[in-house]
Amino acid sequence: MKHLPKHLRPRWRYLAVGIEAWPDAEISRGSFQRELWYAAQNLLGDPGSADASLSVLRFEFENGSGETVVRVRRGEVEPARAALACLDEVDGQPVGLRVRGVSGTVRAASERYLGRGAGVSDQRSVVFENTERTAFERDSALDVRRPSGFAGATELDLE
Amino acid sequence: MYEAVYAHPDGDSTAARYALTAADYGFDGVVVRAVDAAPDYDRLAGAYGVDVVDAVEVVADDPASASGAVGNFRPKHELVLVRGGTDRVNRFAVEQERVDVLTRPMDGEGDFNHVLARAAADNDVAVEFDFGPVLRSEGGRRVRALQNLRKLRELVDHYDAPFVVSATPSSHLELRAPRELKAVGETIGFDAADVAAGLGTWGDIAACNRERRSDSFVAPGVELSRDRGEQR
Repeated sequence: MKHLPKHLRPRWRYLAVGIEAWPDAEISRGSFQRELWYAAQNLLGDPGSADASLSVLRFEFENGSGETVVRVRRGEVEPARAALACLDEVDGQPVGLRVRGVSGTVRAASERYLGRGAGVSDQRSVVFENTERTAFERDSALDVRRPSGFAGATELDLE
Repeated sequence: MYEAVYAHPDGDSTAARYALTAADYGFDGVVVRAVDAAPDYDRLAGAYGVDVVDAVEVVADDPASASGAVGNFRPKHELVLVRGGTDRVNRFAVEQERVDVLTRPMDGEGDFNHVLARAAADNDVAVEFDFGPVLRSEGGRRVRALQNLRKLRELVDHYDAPFVVSATPSSHLELRAPRELKAVGETIGFDAADVAAGLGTWGDIAACNRERRSDSFVAPGVELSRDRGEQR
């Protein structure tokens, strides 16, 4: 079908979103998109989520940290933000999300708010809970591997 | 704006990690609602550019043991919270001036009514709106949580009781930035300004208690002057 004339095309806003998870998490664009739709549908209902019309454009995720650009219809940014806040896990892996900023173009969104780099993830051995454990280091954050799952810590927690 | 968190070993992340993430998310401070946690507050102070508040959350089955714990912890911590969740503990908390915040009043069997709301307003005990189940549960549990939040909101509004808002995170991944919490609040019927006020109240209560705990404090409005201990 012939595409719409420019003044009738929908207007979009682009949310630059930072993602954080435990270092062993594997999250793909597809599963993130699916969880986002579920989250939107559960919180906003069918009409609300259709209005927001959320779609995941750029997606990068590696070593427990990532970023993405989410497209949303102009005027629906706040509901979209709420839906993103309610996205708490992807494939059973807990995620932390934060909207870093909103722009009118994908390029502006990614140039201004993304590309901070995942930071080099280094492994080292630390003493946590009085036991020697492996920790994954990113900037000053440390994710410590325990038998019961990871623990979040920082340099300050080590003696 | 402050967030009240469960720090290691009550949660999966240490108080320092919360402070690091909260600073990035734009919070002014973190309230460590310790059940068993005992972070080194001196080391944390100012380390990541956010305030860290030394709080304790009393978890008790009945008013008698809660009362003992509150009396015990009051002089030692900046903030004393009582976890609700049963009608008797909810009632106990809002009737005690020594308690700062009643947390999670609608958990489990707990319920709230006009009598408790009025008592909370009279005794200046803040009631917590727990956004946790809204952010992290689904289906019937979430529907009930939303119904409870609405009921609580209507009561707190009507009696003008003080309130706080929190996402009750148990790891730094469960933290959400203030703007996100405001957006969620608006979708479920809160005023964005009220959510912001609720996040700010944590800090206000902490500031007030710190002033009371300082050596120069004598009585509200009366304090010793700093240089020679004379009364102003």
